Amino acid sequence: MSHIRKSTALAATLGTCVLGLGVAAPAGAAEGDDAMVSVFHGVPGLTVDVYAGDEELIPDFEPGTLTDPMPLPAGSYDIKVFPDGADPASDDPAIEKTVEVAAGDNATIAAHLSEDGEPELTAYANDTSDVPAGQSRLTVRHVAAAPAVDVRAGGQPVFEGLTNPNEDTAEVDAGTVSADVTLAGTDDVVIGPADLTLEEGTSNVVYAWGSAEEENLALKVQTLSGMHSAPSGVEAGAGDTQAGGNSAAAWLAGSAGAAALVAGALALGNRRRAATVTRD
Amino acid sequence: MRNRPLPARAVLAAAVLCAAAALLVVLLAPGSAPDDFGARPTAPPAAPGPEDRPRAAEDAEAAGPDGSPGTPAPERSPAAPTAVTVPRIGLDATVEPVGVQADGTVEIPEAPQAAGWYRFGTAPGASDGSAVLVGHVDFETGELGEFAALYDVRRGDTVRVDRGDAPAARYEVTARAVVDQDELPRELFRRDGPHVLTLITCAPPYDEEDGYRNNLVVTAEPAEG
Repeated sequence: MSHIRKSTALAATLGTCVLGLGVAAPAGAAEGDDAMVSVFHGVPGLTVDVYAGDEELIPDFEPGTLTDPMPLPAGSYDIKVFPDGADPASDDPAIEKTVEVAAGDNATIAAHLSEDGEPELTAYANDTSDVPAGQSRLTVRHVAAAPAVDVRAGGQPVFEGLTNPNEDTAEVDAGTVSADVTLAGTDDVVIGPADLTLEEGTSNVVYAWGSAEEENLALKVQTLSGMHSAPSGVEAGAGDTQAGGNSAAAWLAGSAGAAALVAGALALGNRRRAATVTRD
Repeated sequence: MRNRPLPARAVLAAAVLCAAAALLVVLLAPGSAPDDFGARPTAPPAAPGPEDRPRAAEDAEAAGPDGSPGTPAPERSPAAPTAVTVPRIGLDATVEPVGVQADGTVEIPEAPQAAGWYRFGTAPGASDGSAVLVGHVDFETGELGEFAALYDVRRGDTVRVDRGDAPAARYEVTARAVVDQDELPRELFRRDGPHVLTLITCAPPYDEEDGYRNNLVVTAEPAEG
């Protein structure tokens, strides 16, 4: 029983165990009774079986893998992670945590190392609110046994001083960026550089995972799509000709045309007169 | 003097030509938006739930410990549009991909013969969504843009969109509407539902400070066969 109390204390410390903490759910999402839950395994060197209560959720889960989002009925789940092949009836789980998911939530549960290298579970709410047209949402979650880091894109810091198990997020121009992770406040690159393709209207969650001490730090990217929004408008007139042409430029153009026609008419008249004169 | 009446006749001719020229200027600058016709097909009423929005996540690998680049994302639109023509009204524009400006509005190409394809949305010739082409109606020089011809478009006009590495996509005009520029329907940029081609330019009234207040929206649906 002691491990349950321990996991409760851990959850309270982390403060991230309850999902649906005011993260904007997409319009209408609450109509369903399910939450969408993904699971990321970020503990190096340990293949595991993941249980929700007594039910096996993911067998033979390899480090560095991320499941597709699974619909789970809203509710409270006792998530237990066992070393692969352990007997859930008699063995103690390697990690255990109670996670609550509300209808319409989109969440990722990460099994990962703490800054000190201890395995733990953190539940993150994924922001699936709309992204402005032309942009992409970039979120970085520090789930590695490593100190505070900075995250850079194209050499410029995007997130600074990020610590385990926190996350930071920003909306950036869609496109491909070269990203790397450095020790906070330094140019010491610990991960990357790696190209990140940030498609327009998507949410991209990057997990910095592994262990600095064991030199296996790595990135894992989770992309959620369907958060695009329409541009704010189409301003497709630079002049006012089509509106009636009362701008100086349009009048000048019009006047010049009329003047040319008048000049032409006069020239025509002059030619006729000249012809008449020669006939005399 | 027998040649006296001749200058008078020349003046008369000039006056007639001037009037004709003035009429021509008026005809070229109607000053009002054309009538609406037809109805835009819209996406079926969406029932967004956690199952379909956001859509299933892709699981993309990024860098390993060695920093090796991840799997490249699939090419979004292998056949980008290169030109659009509406033969009956003489619309013939080149097409270039455009995104959004800092203010969130769609970028519009500055060349009179050019139109822009909203590259974040559906491409012409796709099976779903609304592929959007935008073009200036006119320019500061007083010159009209190719999309000004949309004021003369009629139901049933053929629209052809040439594409880079694919056969041209053919459409038939089914609707035209003038909408408030500040309330351009988001639906015009939908990425699912029945496929349509949407051509957007500007429409009067014109405001000295804000420019055109309306958008002219022409909808074309895939041509049969």
